[in-house]
Amino acid sequence: MIYLEVKLPDIPGSLIELIRPISQYGGNIYGILHHHDKKINNMIPVDIWFELSEELVQVSLENIKKDLINKNIQINKISVGSKNKVLTFIITGHVFDTDITDTIKRLDSKNIKVLDLHAKFTEVDEISSVMMKVEFPDVMKKFELINEIEKICKEKNLFLIRS
Amino acid sequence: MEVKICLIGMGNVGTSFLKLLNEKRENIADKFNFTTKLIAIFEYDGALINDNGIDIVHLFSDSSNLRENQYWKSNVKAQDLISTLDIDVCIETTPTNPDTGEPALSHILEALHNKIDVISSNKAPFYLQYNTIKNLASETGCLVKYEATVASGVPALSIKNSLIGNTISRIRAILTGTNNYILSRMTAEGISFSVALKEAQELGYAETDPSLDIDGYDSAGKLVIVSNTLLGWSKSIEDVSIKGISDITPHALELAKLDGYVIKHLAIAENDKLVVEPRLVKRDSSLNVQGTLNVVELQTKFAGAIIILGKGAGGYEAGAAILNDLISITNERIKKNEK
Repeated sequence: MIYLEVKLPDIPGSLIELIRPISQYGGNIYGILHHHDKKINNMIPVDIWFELSEELVQVSLENIKKDLINKNIQINKISVGSKNKVLTFIITGHVFDTDITDTIKRLDSKNIKVLDLHAKFTEVDEISSVMMKVEFPDVMKKFELINEIEKICKEKNLFLIRS
Repeated sequence: MEVKICLIGMGNVGTSFLKLLNEKRENIADKFNFTTKLIAIFEYDGALINDNGIDIVHLFSDSSNLRENQYWKSNVKAQDLISTLDIDVCIETTPTNPDTGEPALSHILEALHNKIDVISSNKAPFYLQYNTIKNLASETGCLVKYEATVASGVPALSIKNSLIGNTISRIRAILTGTNNYILSRMTAEGISFSVALKEAQELGYAETDPSLDIDGYDSAGKLVIVSNTLLGWSKSIEDVSIKGISDITPHALELAKLDGYVIKHLAIAENDKLVVEPRLVKRDSSLNVQGTLNVVELQTKFAGAIIILGKGAGGYEAGAAILNDLISITNERIKKNEK
């Protein structure tokens, strides 16, 4: 899994400019997170997670970086993580009422990145279910990750079903 | 060799066992070189006791006359009479309180105190007082078998004998057919938990009060037994972290499908911890079994994952497990005598 942190101008089409080289060089995008709340000087921090097949990683990553620099996209961080450190889980309950953005931010503050998110609900204030795929750092043990998720679930009275 | 037995509790399991014993009597004598003599049958309100042996064929030709039989004694308790019987093996199949393990626990301990080998289909004594039973059996030189307590006829416990040279590092299992039926139906049809439960009750897969199953207590008890037996642990049901299945929604099951998962109610023993909870399981996993089936996956050091799968409930399934235990105990006794 490759984690890329960039800053994009808050104008239409800028996200396409970011995605195009990743896709062109064989990247499979898992998730994109816009930090609209951290916008400074009309620039928005954007996190993107994608996967490259092992044989493409070195060459493609260099090409992607070159293209982004040519497009004047500011790269803050790029890192290649372990493929094994991904976990899928489902939470059910009042997931939206209990502030899903807060849930994601709290995971993020522990370096747990939400790569993918799907939700099912009838009405926002009804019981809902959300499936998340998260990536967590190499140094973090799986039980530590589970503990972090369980802590939030317990506080928000959410039911956790994990892989 | 003649093995004298008594049966405590002649419900579905006890009756099925006796029918199987009768059916396989000649086969057992030929193959395993022993015969059985049924000395006593205890019921809640009395006992049929005949030192010369109860005629099982006659018993089933007119079973309604159990209490009119000339050897019937009313208002006697197994607990009081076990010590007076000349028997080798006590078979315990009474309906038992899941919180106290009684009356089965007292019957088992009484038999062991009297140096009588024990076979039981009752879970509660083993998930509540495993160490007490094992220690007493060891002190008195008795054998205790309880294959029917976990997954009935599926040899989830006796497989230990085939893995003596191996090491089991983890157990993952589905041990309650009711829960697996409910989740299978919710997954297949997109129906709610309450509708699937009602369907299971109508089909006789779930009890009128299904809480022991759906809240995970039944699975937890079985997990304690299977992990103590196969991993050599000394846990009780209080050591299990338990979550039931009633909070699972059709939405959650739909989401799981999106990423190639199903939701299963798993019982897991790993890293000295016991957990019963719903988990996401890959659709192509061997744990993705359907309907009321039970499955036990043993992760082993030298053979990888070993899967045992089959029907986890039913009178004949449990009866067959008891018969297996009886043959196993007798074989061990014959070997010891030969030495």
